[in-house]
Amino acid sequence: MSQNDNLDLKPVPGERLKKFLRRSDVLQSTLFGLIITGVFIILGGKYYPEWMPAAMSTDMKAIVKLMTVFTWISAPVCGVVLGIALYSFLNRHKGDTPPPDGPATRTNGPVVLLWSVVTSALALVAVLYGLTEQNSTSLASARNAEDAMVVNVIGSQWAWSFDYPEYGISSHELMLPIDRPVSFKVVSVDVNHSFWPVQLGVKVDANKLAETLADTTPTKLGEFDVKCAELCGLYHAYMETTGEVMTEEDFNSWVSTQDGDRNTK
Amino acid sequence: MTTLDSQVGSRAIPNPKNSLITKLNAGTGLIVGILFAIGTYKGLSNTLDTSVYHLHNQVLLATMFMWSIGFLVGIGAFIGPVRWLVGKDLTAEEQLYMAGDGQGISRYFKYCTDHKVVGIQYLWGVITLLAVGGSMAMMIRTDLFNSGGHFVTAPIYNSLVGLHGITMIIALIIVATGPFGNYIMPIMIGAADMAFPRLNALSWWVLATAIPVLCSAWFLGGIPTGWTAYAPLSVQAGPGMNAFLATIIIFAVSTAVAGMNITATVITMRAKGMSWNRVPIFVIGATVSVALAIPAFPTFMVAMIQTAMDRSFMTGFFDANVGGTGWLYAHLFWIMGHPEVYVILVPGVAIIMEIVPVFVRKPLFSYTAAVVGFAGIAGLSVLVWAHHMYMSGWMPMLNGPFMVTTEMISVPTGLIFLVILGTLWNGKPWLKVPMLGAYAFLWNMLIGGITGLYLSDVPADQYLHGSMYVTAHFHYTLMGAALTGAVAGLVYWYPKMTGHMLNERASYVSFWLIQIGFQILYLGMFIAGSEGQPRRVADYASEFINSNRISTVGAYTVGIGFIILLWAVVHSWRHGKIAPMNPWGAKTLEWTVPYPVPLTNFDTPPVVTSDPYGYGRSAK
Amino acid sequence: MAKSNMTAGKRAASAILATALSISVVVGVGVTLNKFSADPNGKLFATKEADTINVDGKEYPKASLTMGVYADTEQAHADGFTGMKNDWVQYGPSNHLVLPANTYITMTIHGYDGGEELNNPFFGKVMGTVSGTVNIDGVEYDSLPYNKIQHTWTLHGIPQSTQDPLFVSVPLLRVEEDDEIGWVPTEDPITNFKGHTITFSFLTKGAGEYVWNCEFPCGDDTYAKFGAAMSGYGYMSGKVTVTA
Ligand SMILES: [Cu+2]
Ligand SMILES: [Cu+2]
Ligand SMILES: [Cu+2]
Repeated sequence: MSQNDNLDLKPVPGERLKKFLRRSDVLQSTLFGLIITGVFIILGGKYYPEWMPAAMSTDMKAIVKLMTVFTWISAPVCGVVLGIALYSFLNRHKGDTPPPDGPATRTNGPVVLLWSVVTSALALVAVLYGLTEQNSTSLASARNAEDAMVVNVIGSQWAWSFDYPEYGISSHELMLPIDRPVSFKVVSVDVNHSFWPVQLGVKVDANKLAETLADTTPTKLGEFDVKCAELCGLYHAYMETTGEVMTEEDFNSWVSTQDGDRNTK
Repeated sequence: MTTLDSQVGSRAIPNPKNSLITKLNAGTGLIVGILFAIGTYKGLSNTLDTSVYHLHNQVLLATMFMWSIGFLVGIGAFIGPVRWLVGKDLTAEEQLYMAGDGQGISRYFKYCTDHKVVGIQYLWGVITLLAVGGSMAMMIRTDLFNSGGHFVTAPIYNSLVGLHGITMIIALIIVATGPFGNYIMPIMIGAADMAFPRLNALSWWVLATAIPVLCSAWFLGGIPTGWTAYAPLSVQAGPGMNAFLATIIIFAVSTAVAGMNITATVITMRAKGMSWNRVPIFVIGATVSVALAIPAFPTFMVAMIQTAMDRSFMTGFFDANVGGTGWLYAHLFWIMGHPEVYVILVPGVAIIMEIVPVFVRKPLFSYTAAVVGFAGIAGLSVLVWAHHMYMSGWMPMLNGPFMVTTEMISVPTGLIFLVILGTLWNGKPWLKVPMLGAYAFLWNMLIGGITGLYLSDVPADQYLHGSMYVTAHFHYTLMGAALTGAVAGLVYWYPKMTGHMLNERASYVSFWLIQIGFQILYLGMFIAGSEGQPRRVADYASEFINSNRISTVGAYTVGIGFIILLWAVVHSWRHGKIAPMNPWGAKTLEWTVPYPVPLTNFDTPPVVTSDPYGYGRSAK
Repeated sequence: MAKSNMTAGKRAASAILATALSISVVVGVGVTLNKFSADPNGKLFATKEADTINVDGKEYPKASLTMGVYADTEQAHADGFTGMKNDWVQYGPSNHLVLPANTYITMTIHGYDGGEELNNPFFGKVMGTVSGTVNIDGVEYDSLPYNKIQHTWTLHGIPQSTQDPLFVSVPLLRVEEDDEIGWVPTEDPITNFKGHTITFSFLTKGAGEYVWNCEFPCGDDTYAKFGAAMSGYGYMSGKVTVTA
């Protein structure tokens, strides 16, 4: 590979770059990298939304989008790393004796600098995107705090129960009216649990004697699952129940069928 | 090449006949340990009513600690200090005897101070732990093959999850710094032994006493908590939990001792001329790892002691009813837990960095970037712990700052990729099994890193936290990256540690089985997590069955791959091809000594004039 | 030093043998654990009855089941319930119930225990029974005060598309020394009280696997009283198999 040695001859900078870009290993690595980037972009856009359950709330919509966008951000990183690695893997030395020595490149200042700047920039993009997203959800919850329906979520070893203080009822299923903000106040009566209405994209731990908060706005009619996402002992796996996002009328008629007995201490 | 026999023949075998140390070994340790344990249990249960929950815990904990102390007494761990205290320090002959010189295979069962013996002891300790933990993983995956049908009951499943977790975490913490940090590293830096040979023996044997304690959890009803042992669930748990607590406390003592020893050795015992910029990168990685463990593990130990006190003395550190809080536990745990990930990862990375230059015959690309990368990771890793607590409700306001510190880690991690890729660039790699490990490492670390990016993001974590996605992610980093690095290291250094080459075909087959099975296993788990399956569940809705079956198939493939590797390690130990002194043509010092490595490693102390990466056609 | 003197054939044989051996060790451990997972007291089958019952315009076959919840007490022994492992409180005679699908199940539970307070008062409510009530010694209740309960029998499962949801939760009235209902204990209140007879009915749907557990904290001495018997499989928890 005599062209490698040309690097040391310090030709005109533009010439050097041109020559570098015409090298077959550079071309091949770049090609691999582009293909891999493309594959990751397609996979990220296609599979996460396919795997993840259909969004039933504002939060879940944002999360699915975020997973996709993060895959797109990281696709070029995969392209660079795997492109170079794949080329090198295919360009192997055959035989049972060690290969001849390669060029004695100890380091390359500009490359290290460029690499650090690019990774920092990517990290910054990810941070900013995440912070913005987080900020918009917390702004939304502040906006909705006024007219939100409060549901007290109680985790006990191995079942959930839901109190609706506004209506004086309680239920083992989580029924919610569509398009009305809901604010969950979550506690545990024993060990730690984690309240996870999956399709609503909400999660917060249930702690003893310390209320935690979460909120969202259901946007799609249908049933959803409520799970426990924190190992809580014997029947943790069975600490699950269902919920449903209903129309306003359906919700009201459900409320009227519940007895008014909340069984509080 | 010198053989063991000719080595010994040239020197008188030390035999201090009347000394107590010649009569003690693991057998006497076992006897004294069991006597201590039985005595403690009998004595205490006479005075304390073991039908009372917290008194029972007191008795069990005391029994476990006394077993450990008894074993150490029985194997002679305290002879040195006691003799020194009474003013009759060990004679030179006795010290030489303790180094195990010329004692053949029996020295592996003694309180032996030779770092090479300790390295082999650690290697087999790690193999044992990996085998036990791996078998439990197979049980877990067998149970999850079906939804609704149960291979084991929920409490047994929960115990499998927790004990698999802690067994593997312990195994991975010592997988590189134990065998290679003890056997290879002192030779790599041109030292005759570790800085504190007796502490070295102590670190191994303390750890060894923790293994039976951990296993006893099964006979005490298992643990329901997972390896994170969150309080107050751990306070509520049955007697098996005591075994978990005692194991961690004993293990923390071992890592503290080992960490001090390795750090002191690297700082003070480097060969003449080995300035800091000439230290092999594995040594840097191992030192960063153990140095990071020194501040990290005490918080774990404190958390365990507090849990033990809540359980045994009803102190209520983590009981909200009396003013405690579970969040305190979570903090203590993760202040250890996150650095611990890098305690595991960094030596694995460093092994790969050690291997790549040898097999592409190029200098390590930007040694400085590698060191800065390690330092950056280690430094940042103590500032990110609360990313495990985004959804705990502890302080949502701080999620933003912790997200920033966490995502900053991708910058030093990027440097690590750069170093490996830069070394590959323009080279023609020699694809022996250790080098294959480097490629697997790159892929696995990349997937682990990127999925870590989703998890570090607060809104995404709101969905992914506590799901199978997390399990898949950290297996990519711990198993896919760190363990792959350690296995590559095993294949690489096996010739120096055993005198034989590791069976090439078997290690090749096992490599591909493990890596391909691994991708299948965790692809299934990523899908299950994205679909919304919580982690650590003994049962799941039938909606998740396909992704779980994919995982189980992958897991069995990985299992078979590891069994083949185990066969190769055992078989080649005696029957492998005789290894030349430097089979890979590497330039680090360990390849300049013969096998068996002489007691003091080097006949004449080596003098170092450059770093060990002087490969290359045209030095400028 | 010994040269490798093994032939390739021998080496392959040893590799295969070692692999087989390792796999059989793992399988052996698995089978042992699996054995430990067998139901400690076998399965308890509901007794099918000849007649049917009409609920909301639909005919259902009937089946019934009798259980007891007891500590290791003399009265429980006299009524045919014997302890399983130790003196922890437990449901018996078995914790794995087998029920026919689409059937009107009448369950009778003899409760011999005292009680304190529920952790979650919600489980004082009667839920999922046909009448919305539970019959305790002849009196119908739709809920019990959170501090008058000895145990609960709470049936639930993982929501999934392949089986129907089933949720039943019934509180069991605790036994007291000055019990109005008339089970005045003689002499020793712990060993000799008669206990309450608690009856309720619910409808099973399609076949499926469910679990049940007690929501009353009876793991004395432990955190939230949910350790010990509450967290040990086969005492205050179990399985329900609904067979087609
Ligand atoms: Cu839970
Ligand atoms: Cu972390
Ligand atoms: Cu109970």
